[in-house]
Amino acid sequence: MRSSKSEVVLHLVLAIGALLMIVPFVWMVLSSLKSHTEITSYPPTWLPRHWDFGNYPEALKFAPFGTYFRNSLIIATGHTVLNVALASMAGYSLARVPFRGRSALFVAMLATMMIPTYTKIVPQYLIAKAMPFFGGNDYLGRGGSGWLDSWWALIVPGALTPLAIFLFRQFYLSLPRELEEAARIDGMGEFGIYAKVMTPLIKPAIATVALITFENSWNNFLWPLIVTTRDDLRVIQVGLAAFQQSERTYWEYLMAGTTLATLPMIVLFLLTQRYFVQGFANSGIK
Amino acid sequence: MTGPMTTTAVRRTETAVAEAAPAKPPRRGRRLGWERRRAAVLMVAPAVILLTWWIGIPTIASLVLAFTHYDVLAGTISWAGLGNFRDIFADPIWNRSIWHTVVYTFFTVPVAMAIAVAIAVLLNSKLRGRAWYRAAYFLPHITATVAIALVWMWMFEPNIGLFNAVLGQVGIQGPAWLSDPAWAMPAVIVVSVWKGIGLKMLIYLAALQSIPPELYEAADVDGATPRRKFFAITLPLLRPATFFVFIVSLIDSFQVFEQVYVLTPDGGPANATTVMTLEIYRSAFGKFDMSRACAQSMVLFVFLLVLTVISRRLTGKDSDAEL
Repeated sequence: MRSSKSEVVLHLVLAIGALLMIVPFVWMVLSSLKSHTEITSYPPTWLPRHWDFGNYPEALKFAPFGTYFRNSLIIATGHTVLNVALASMAGYSLARVPFRGRSALFVAMLATMMIPTYTKIVPQYLIAKAMPFFGGNDYLGRGGSGWLDSWWALIVPGALTPLAIFLFRQFYLSLPRELEEAARIDGMGEFGIYAKVMTPLIKPAIATVALITFENSWNNFLWPLIVTTRDDLRVIQVGLAAFQQSERTYWEYLMAGTTLATLPMIVLFLLTQRYFVQGFANSGIK
Repeated sequence: MTGPMTTTAVRRTETAVAEAAPAKPPRRGRRLGWERRRAAVLMVAPAVILLTWWIGIPTIASLVLAFTHYDVLAGTISWAGLGNFRDIFADPIWNRSIWHTVVYTFFTVPVAMAIAVAIAVLLNSKLRGRAWYRAAYFLPHITATVAIALVWMWMFEPNIGLFNAVLGQVGIQGPAWLSDPAWAMPAVIVVSVWKGIGLKMLIYLAALQSIPPELYEAADVDGATPRRKFFAITLPLLRPATFFVFIVSLIDSFQVFEQVYVLTPDGGPANATTVMTLEIYRSAFGKFDMSRACAQSMVLFVFLLVLTVISRRLTGKDSDAEL
């Protein structure tokens, strides 16, 4: 079919392109392993002359990247669990049970998917700040800081995404009706059918939604940036940005920090590529 | 897409429920139906509450706040009419930020799309190591923009960074990149193109796989060249995907924030990289002028809405299948 010569050219073009895509990652890791004198000398070296793994513990001492890392992990895990649980219930309900106003509800949820981040970010912040009975607020949400600088603000507002509901609904729609009917004849309730019969059948969808949620949450920056000022509540991305602004010269620590921040996602992606690809190709929306 | 299908499914399920309990027809059937509906409403309720609270209300509130003067610290609010809009359009920095957003979009979206479609076509053949190539191109999309932007910032470092070192090897004195008004925006654009290729490529790849191979076989019989096949078959059939990628990229591009904020925290040298989102962020969380920020975000929203409508018109009906 294809001549071997054109295949070599094809591989060459694709390989050069792929190399350009991963050079920044390689440069990041190599930089994180160079000593301070080597990283600040000109011309730069490709491979470290002396592999300085000590930059990692030093970076952790320099800025609390360990705490940031832990915070991001808690939030991303929380978002993933909540989003899978709440969105799958909603998706099931919208896909399989007829009730009044269901179509209108579904259209409304699709509409929320189209609303840009910046249209809602300011009122979201104001709502978090005015949450009644939290952070010294009175019952009208006045006086205190509400959910600002708290785990509530970091976890609750981003816990559910319309995209996840949409994806789950599509998967539930594809299941055969006979299954739920059989379960219903056996006297199973609607929630039982959802939890024990239908949801176990859409495990790939769960994996897809879970991974996309985890990735988005781990990489999120703007919302945690505006709702937290406390160092012990910072997430890894905000911590990195703050480190860069205060300690401009310590590139080796900064690169160690970014390596720590990107490595979990890279590993997760390489291990579960199939689900990521499926999710992004199916939805295309982020 | 889902409308007619859903209604049929609904009707079918209802009949099925009625048929499932033929012994005590009307009462039991209705009771069962009621219990199901109650369960379903309870299951969808958390989602409805959360989305109303965190997306519905904020969207409406943003629209209302844009026409008011709201003082966060004093807690006072008064009607402003079009005052905020007059103010922001009298501000040269806001007007420049609109222009910068347009320039940024003009350079990132088409370039990344062209590269993405080329890679997708190349990757669509049965090739050894396909999955590895795909992973490499997609990796930037998966990783955090902030972390990535920091790495690029390090590569753009004027004295000891990778770029100027490589340029130095061929005898070119590289610019100061991020602190040079002429080069800051191009530098941000390079990062965005690099990061944006993966997702676009993936959507194109999915679209390419739905093109029936018979078309290419027929073209082979007619003796068509690869170039002719690309322009006569591939590209026209990729139109819905192209529309989709274009809209999604446009909307993303108009909302670019993180790479700009990290690479050039103050909007670059002499506001050279100040985009609309950065101005909104500054109004809200720098000046704490929430009304001004809402007015600016409404302008951004209108831009996105108009762009979506126009491109829908231009591409016609065949694009509906994708959305």
